[in-house]
Amino acid sequence: MDLEFTDDQLELRDAARQVLAGACPPSLVRSLYEGTGSPEELWKVIRELDWPALGLPEEHGGLGLGFVEVGILVEELGRVAAPSPLLATVTQFAAAVRGSGSSFALGDVASGRRTGTLALADDGRWDPTRPPVRAESEGSGYRLTGRVTHVLDGDTADEVAVVVGTDRGPGVVAVPGSEVVASRQTTVDPTVPLATLEFDGVAVPTERVLLAPGAPGAADAIARIVDEATVAIVLSTVATCRAIFEATVEYAKVRHQFGRPIGSFQAVKHRLADCFLAVERAGALGWFAALTVAEDDPRRPVAVAMAKAAAADCAQLLSRDGLQLHGGIGFTWEYDLHFLLKRAVTGDLLFGGGAFHRSRVAAMLGLADDGEAQ
Amino acid sequence: MRLRFDDSVEATRQEFREWLAANRPSVEEMAADPAVSTGHAPDWARRWTRAMFDAGWLVPGWPPELGGRGAGPIETFVVLEELAAAHVPRTTNVQGLGIVAPSIVDYGTPEQVRDHALPILRGELTACLGMSEPDAGSDLASLSTRAVLEGDEDTGEWVIDGQKVWTSGANYADFCFLFCRTEPDEPKHRGISILLVPMDAPGITVRPLPEIVHPDEPDLNEVFLDGVRVPAASLVGRRGDGWAMANGSLAHERGMVWVSAVMGLEEALGSLVAGAPAHLAAMGPHERALAVDQIVQIAIDTQAARCLGQRGFAKLARGGSAPEQALMKLYASDCRQRVARIAADVQGADSLELGSVPNDGHQAVDEPRGTWMEQWFHSFANTISAGTSEIQRNIVAERVLGLPRG
Ligand SMILES: Cc1cc2nc3c(=O)[nH]c(=O)nc-3n(C[C@H](O)[C@H](O)[C@H](O)COP(=O)(O)OP(=O)(O)OC[C@H]3O[C@@H](n4cnc5c(N)ncnc54)[C@H](O)[C@@H]3O)c2cc1C
Repeated sequence: MDLEFTDDQLELRDAARQVLAGACPPSLVRSLYEGTGSPEELWKVIRELDWPALGLPEEHGGLGLGFVEVGILVEELGRVAAPSPLLATVTQFAAAVRGSGSSFALGDVASGRRTGTLALADDGRWDPTRPPVRAESEGSGYRLTGRVTHVLDGDTADEVAVVVGTDRGPGVVAVPGSEVVASRQTTVDPTVPLATLEFDGVAVPTERVLLAPGAPGAADAIARIVDEATVAIVLSTVATCRAIFEATVEYAKVRHQFGRPIGSFQAVKHRLADCFLAVERAGALGWFAALTVAEDDPRRPVAVAMAKAAAADCAQLLSRDGLQLHGGIGFTWEYDLHFLLKRAVTGDLLFGGGAFHRSRVAAMLGLADDGEAQ
Repeated sequence: MRLRFDDSVEATRQEFREWLAANRPSVEEMAADPAVSTGHAPDWARRWTRAMFDAGWLVPGWPPELGGRGAGPIETFVVLEELAAAHVPRTTNVQGLGIVAPSIVDYGTPEQVRDHALPILRGELTACLGMSEPDAGSDLASLSTRAVLEGDEDTGEWVIDGQKVWTSGANYADFCFLFCRTEPDEPKHRGISILLVPMDAPGITVRPLPEIVHPDEPDLNEVFLDGVRVPAASLVGRRGDGWAMANGSLAHERGMVWVSAVMGLEEALGSLVAGAPAHLAAMGPHERALAVDQIVQIAIDTQAARCLGQRGFAKLARGGSAPEQALMKLYASDCRQRVARIAADVQGADSLELGSVPNDGHQAVDEPRGTWMEQWFHSFANTISAGTSEIQRNIVAERVLGLPRG
């Protein structure tokens, strides 16, 4: 197992970092927090760079790179708390389309003309075996009813991939954003816009059925789609935590009290060493999980659940110690640190928190009672 | 970034696996005569080291005359992995093969390599590492065992007086890689030199220190040195360079120690998970849920230790620097401690019983063995020795994160 980036991958990372330093400064993030800005300009930059196309196959207008390269972009976006439809469009919607064995709208995704997302959460719980939206057959299509929460970009995405339940088992369909009643949720982090979607008898024609309910292997395909989306949240969240970590180490070197840098106090040093471990631990698990997705390895389900649980640990520690070690300044609205802290706690809980993913690991290790979360 | 190594690496793995199957010490001979100290090499262990040396598997990265085959780091990694998977120790003389021999190869004279390093590599001699003293533990550089040169640098003799403590394997080892203060007027980090000292030299007294578990098989010792005389040519490297060499050779070993640490952890987790259902079945639902969560958390840590080790290793193998490596000793030893304690908790009061798990000799003496609670006590060997976990955090904070010394 080779868990280090190739030279090309490192180059991609550095290039992305450089672009985002210019295109997504803290002032942009602040403008979202303060309701004065929009992510449109940044999205334009991202489209011009062909990032939406990066991981898509060439026959659909993509650049043909893999999930590792997509993960690199996701990390860089997480590092600067970038508001961008890229995460949901590529790692949720396109993942759902491709994971369903479909190519629906991929050309438009690659060109940046259409954005998308994935709808699965039932009151903040992401359990692919229990989707909150029901699909009833109607003619050759379906009619959807139900309510999904915490849909990333749910009120702005052009396309919503919906995991649906039927009597014959689960499936995936695509619904135009314009046909759904979406209400934006008011959450701690406006760079990760979440919405509740109501499906009140929305009709889905056959050509929008991505994965037919009851098709053989549908449940596995859906699990895989959700895993891919989950790993992306892991990579993004750990990158945010790394940014908190670096900011805190920097602050510990420059902030003086008692006539010396606070970073020379051992109580501070040891906490930062533990923070470093938490970030590296979650990062290593996250990239291992990403590789199992990229290479479709059978260790994927355990690897993803473990990575998400570790990302949750990491986000909890870094949001706590990052804030605590900054003292009063970290507690203010004026100082930019809170953008990262809020992005970290959001990533901790999206697609399930630590306890949920540990319960999945327990089931996969054969330690859970029958009937517990899978 | 990918999950598999190159085919050529897998070919090496296959070759080693076949050689291992044909040449390994048998489970029975290891169990019949397990090593009881890190200075102790039972006959099977001597033959085994010699076989590894002759076949070029002992230190794969070295040239054939030193027991290697000029292999790259990834091949070396694969060899260590296969050894651990087969439950065969690479050596019983951990300090000798891991630290003393490489240091002599790096810094010693050709005669020292011939008379000290090669015999270790051929399984003929064992060595111990004399660093710590009663007043010099974490603050090793303050050690005070003195060596004074009588006569000149070619024909003279070093006369050594002082005391070492926690010297693993000194009760069996043939010689000691001894850290002494030779330049009392220099600053403490620049006044230390290394001498090769036969353990049967007149003036040496070894007093074993029975340990917190398995006290009948002590590995730790006090070593008293009273007017011990060794030839001037026993000096390794240059006078006053002992501290720098210690950092060099320990770092040497850090690149790979994590492999056996992680595989030991994986083995422990494996038996925890295999044994857990019987205990979980007897618990009520809430207790069971809590116990399962503990097991899951250490399972995640175990996989994380493996991934972290491999991530750092991949960077090193490419010639880069790997900050992850600095975390591995801290993290793997902490995980090894927790897995034992969680397992003891899951097992319940039965874990208090002593001596119910025989030593089958498949682990190095410094690795936790025995019942879960014995393993838990034993695991402190690794959170204390070679730089305590607190010192590791200091090192990470200062050398990796660049925080100022306080
Ligand atoms: C099983 C085992 C095998 C060993 N084998 C060998 C061997 O073969 N050869 C050899 O030379 N030595 C050996 N040692 C010795 C080992 O290296 C020392 O025990 C270790 O360096 C700690 O020193 P100490 O025991 O004097 O503890 P101390 O240094 O007194 O430490 C006591 C406590 O204080 C803490 N502490 C000390 N300084 C600091 C600091 N600056 N910041 C924060 N906390 C601090 C420590 O972390 C520890 O918790 C071995 C030890 C063990 C347990």
